[in-house]
Amino acid sequence: MIRVEDVHKYFGTLHVLRGITLDVSKGEALVIIGPSGSGKSTLLRCINLLVEPDAGRVFIDGVHVNRHDINREWVRQQVGMVFQSFNLFTHLTALENVMLGPIRVKGVSREQAEDKAKQLLARVGLAAKANAYPAELSGGQQQRVAIARALAMDPKAMLFDEPTSALDPEYIREVLDVMTALAREGMTMIVVTHEMGFASNVARRIVFMDGGVILEEGHPQEIFEHPKQERTRAFVSKILR
Amino acid sequence: MGSLEDVRRQRTRTFDTIAAVVLTVGIIGLLLEVLVGRYGLSWTYIASAWPIYLRGAWVTFYVTTVAYIVGMGIGFIIGWARAARVSVRKPGAQGAAVFGVKYTLRRMGDGYVAAIRGTPLFVQIVFVSSVLVIRFSSLDPNQLALIAGLVALTANTGGYQSEIFRAGIQTVHTGQVEAARAIGFSRWKAMRHVVLPQALRLVIPPLTNEYIGLLKASSLLLVIGIVELTEIGRREAFFQGKPFESFAIVTGLYLLITVPVSKIVEYIERRLRVPGLGSQQAPTTRV
Repeated sequence: MIRVEDVHKYFGTLHVLRGITLDVSKGEALVIIGPSGSGKSTLLRCINLLVEPDAGRVFIDGVHVNRHDINREWVRQQVGMVFQSFNLFTHLTALENVMLGPIRVKGVSREQAEDKAKQLLARVGLAAKANAYPAELSGGQQQRVAIARALAMDPKAMLFDEPTSALDPEYIREVLDVMTALAREGMTMIVVTHEMGFASNVARRIVFMDGGVILEEGHPQEIFEHPKQERTRAFVSKILR
Repeated sequence: MGSLEDVRRQRTRTFDTIAAVVLTVGIIGLLLEVLVGRYGLSWTYIASAWPIYLRGAWVTFYVTTVAYIVGMGIGFIIGWARAARVSVRKPGAQGAAVFGVKYTLRRMGDGYVAAIRGTPLFVQIVFVSSVLVIRFSSLDPNQLALIAGLVALTANTGGYQSEIFRAGIQTVHTGQVEAARAIGFSRWKAMRHVVLPQALRLVIPPLTNEYIGLLKASSLLLVIGIVELTEIGRREAFFQGKPFESFAIVTGLYLLITVPVSKIVEYIERRLRVPGLGSQQAPTTRV
């Protein structure tokens, strides 16, 4: 479903991604862990082309997407993204946040978009909050609206960039539950997270990134209990505490 | 603890109120004494002369409003251009050309804003006027003055409004654009549906300030012979020998424009208010 081939990215002289190769099959939930600055977010952004890779190729559903002659707006519609800081549209209600993309990008009618948005909000457990503005919602609620907003575009895959890192502990569970349900329904997802419980439950494979390369990958149990690399071991021991 | 603090606040409030009332009554009394008691405010003059003032007020209002609206167009475009971060340079000759044009426009915008903000409006008015007078000496001087005044005011407010728009657009968090881009919005659509609805709400108060400031600054137009409200007041004061009456009317008429404008905008602002954007009262609990 998603294939990344030897992708490099420079920010000025900083070599952020140093040749990443990754394959995510349809319906797989892949978890990426790694210290901050290791290039995890940049990798996600290279997949939906919010950041343009400097070298290498990205495929989504068999389509080579980082060519010059491709419509980048189209590519981004294929892959939903959820951000660490939610980034809900401040001036719109929860319902309008979910409706905006389908109406303005896909040209869906207002009624259809509204029906679908209501369904999606119900799916993330927020039917009652449809008319609330982001500022009136808790962090966990905002993040669930953000997931609904991404799903409204019918993406082929979802990218989660540390979706629970900005949340108060009491709200983490509700967001992870939504994500777990999504994975169980067979959504292809790449999740950058340090939630080890979630990773063990949902992922068949965990990738450990450091310094812009993939140092190690494997089954959650393997990575958490018997990491091969010294740096993986050091990192895992820190997050498991 | 709390109640002591409350008592203290209550006392301060009471004192403030008394002080305000005393001051206001004193000032009004003094004005009346000067205007009516000592010199005698001529109501007959006011009753007969007010249409002239109204005409002056109309000139002031319409020059300001036309300049303000055209200036808003200029300010919006330049503000937007200057708010945009350095654009990506696409490969190829066309990419280079687009990049070059954008860069040039942005730097020109910088120069324009620097020139407008860095010089007195008075100088700008006289400058534009003298250029036009030399260039188009065949035109009617009154018309020429009006055009010069409009051009100078428009250019001036355009520069200031561009800064207001730039600040408004830049205040909208970059995460908003990123989120819009991530669901497939083009740059333009992200601007139109996500950034602008937020930025425009944020710039309403400073834009109102700018209108009121411009209205007052338009009195400088009298220097190039435009007969606006202040000029009427000045003429009447000197030629009719009625300084108190005329400037009382002038003051009243300025307030008659500025106060309703502020009130109307306040109303609009309240209607458009969204929780989490701009100035906030306590968050509404509408859920």
